[in-house]
Amino acid sequence: MSAAGEVQLQSLHMAAYLHSLRCYVCDAGNHCETERCRQCAAPMAIAHQAAALKISPKILVPLSTSQAGKTTYLGLLTDILSRQHQGLHWLARGACSVSLQQETMSYLARCEFPPPTPDNPEAWHWVHCQVLREGQRKPLDLVLPDINGSAVEREVNHSQNDCALRGVALKGAAALVLVDANRAAAGGNQEDFATIKLLAYLSEQSADPKKPWSKKPVAIVFTKADSCDVCREDPLAFAQQHLPGVWQMCQERFGNVRFFATSVSAGSAHRLDRYGRRISVPLRIEPKGVVEPFAWLMSGMN
Amino acid sequence: MKNWLPWTVNAALAAACGFALLYFVDPTLRAATAVAGLCYIAFHSPRRAVHVRKTDPVAAAKASDIKRTPPSPVATPPVQLPDAEDVPTLVDRMIAQGRTALLLRPEIAHSLPPNEFARAEAALEESMALVPAGEVRITPRGLEQASGDALRSDRTISLESFLLDRYPVTNRDFQSFVRAGAYREMTLWEPAIWPAILQFVDRTGEPGPRDWSHGTFTAELAEHPVVGISWFEAVAYARWVGKRLPSDPEWVKAVAWPISAEGERPVQRRYPWGDAMDRRLANLWNTPPGTTSVTSYTDGGSVNGVYDLVGNVWEWTYSPFDALAPARLRWETDAPLKSIRGGAFDTYFDTQAASDFASGEDPFARRHNIGFRCAISLSELRLSDARETTSLHACTRDTSPFPSHSHPEAAQ
Repeated sequence: MSAAGEVQLQSLHMAAYLHSLRCYVCDAGNHCETERCRQCAAPMAIAHQAAALKISPKILVPLSTSQAGKTTYLGLLTDILSRQHQGLHWLARGACSVSLQQETMSYLARCEFPPPTPDNPEAWHWVHCQVLREGQRKPLDLVLPDINGSAVEREVNHSQNDCALRGVALKGAAALVLVDANRAAAGGNQEDFATIKLLAYLSEQSADPKKPWSKKPVAIVFTKADSCDVCREDPLAFAQQHLPGVWQMCQERFGNVRFFATSVSAGSAHRLDRYGRRISVPLRIEPKGVVEPFAWLMSGMN
Repeated sequence: MKNWLPWTVNAALAAACGFALLYFVDPTLRAATAVAGLCYIAFHSPRRAVHVRKTDPVAAAKASDIKRTPPSPVATPPVQLPDAEDVPTLVDRMIAQGRTALLLRPEIAHSLPPNEFARAEAALEESMALVPAGEVRITPRGLEQASGDALRSDRTISLESFLLDRYPVTNRDFQSFVRAGAYREMTLWEPAIWPAILQFVDRTGEPGPRDWSHGTFTAELAEHPVVGISWFEAVAYARWVGKRLPSDPEWVKAVAWPISAEGERPVQRRYPWGDAMDRRLANLWNTPPGTTSVTSYTDGGSVNGVYDLVGNVWEWTYSPFDALAPARLRWETDAPLKSIRGGAFDTYFDTQAASDFASGEDPFARRHNIGFRCAISLSELRLSDARETTSLHACTRDTSPFPSHSHPEAAQ
């Protein structure tokens, strides 16, 4: 390339950086043509849409340790809401917002659980959607990330490592904390400790001192409740009995918290897959209590 | 077994045997023979059950494993042998209880007066539909979408003709079973699960389905399928009415209505009405939540007029779950599961309500969305010759999408 041509190209790059766009999640400056944020790997499409439509999507923070069923829950939630349910209707903004729903449904329809979300932030699903609510004229723009559980654990234990999680926790308008009901019921307090860590981390993050997490709605959702009758019938009593530390922390630090129980399948069993690996397989898909936590959070976000 | 019977039923049995012998000597004793036989079947008294618990050492030992106090035995009046003219009353009572199949067992049917026999036969035809003998293809779970002959592990199974209930057993039907004290009628239950029977109680601790109260159901749910019953309760009910649960292949055959061309694999439907799901024809996800009356979706019936096979409630079958799966695809579960079929009001995917999909459930589970219907082999009944040859035509609906020459019955 000639020297003149190189100068022209560099000028173009400089001009592009001058016209940079801030990531909606972590506020890092990015090239306007970048697909994912160079810092937190969140899709830049969210920032583009927010700027173009002059909207400020609210962020819903889903938190859980690994293998709690976050991807299955969120994928099914998006699918149920896309069909309109309990006065809520979900409209995806952009093709990437459909991927979580599409992938989860393709597994569940075959009566398989989806694989865990990869550890690589580039592969995480980010859903940007409009939520239409019965009785509300104005739709709510919402961003919902599906973050790998191990990454959540790493960030919670060694704060300030994961820009994406820190970004959503700082800016989040509501939180969904998912807890494996079976692990909680099994005793040993490990699930109690792990959830306390998540809540402690969350309570310390806030971009706006006037809106701390103590005032925002937090739904603590027991997943896999199909095999735990006690939890399904009274999640609050279950929490008091099996997660006493969490219960205490919620009393002290979160003023707007509610406990829910949810299940996607009606029982599961194990079998060998085609590669000889032992996998958990749902016996059938019968969602229960999937929309209720979300509906409650939506009402609290007004 | 005779040691367990109270003297009244023993007397009835003795009378039945005596009259049966006399019957061959003097056909005029036909009515009396019928009375004696009916007495034996109709008066399976709870008193007999109490006797079992008191004297059988195995049952007593097992019952002691459960801390719960057994429910008090229901006092029953001594059984009176009815007069010959009371036969219609007994037949009425048994038909009202849905126990028509008992009347048409060969040992009873041949003794019934012709008009009573005809009434019983008509009642049976009204409540059950014939599924003709033939082959059915069963696809093991997990191989529904497999392609290529190497992957396909379909099993083709030959079945005899059988009758299947047109509707799932309703709360009203099950009430008769509960009121008759069948939860204390130990001969109806597998001895191995006698201790568990004490746990088969409703919300108020009375014997009955899980969601009932004080041994009865909510009035508006009378025609809804009974749910909250274990596989063992379903089996006991089926025995009480003189039937059995359908096997897994039998259930599939009733829905899929296989058509076998010579030398070819049977061609089967996915749903009773065809291969495509139509949400207007079954109670599945996103319709108003909960069960509906068994007569709510009459347009969704099978070719031979069996209704509610798909949706509303899953149905227990007699078979183990996925018994036909290849060894490498076997399920690992805490306890052996029984196969359930048909999907329920909260089944999310249409594919899981299709005829080729089976799920499994712990036979002790009393789920809010599992019910059952009963079946009986045609060979176990004595029907009039005319009825046997024409009943299939009589119960076949006119709405079949198959050309008439494709129906198995067209060859008859």
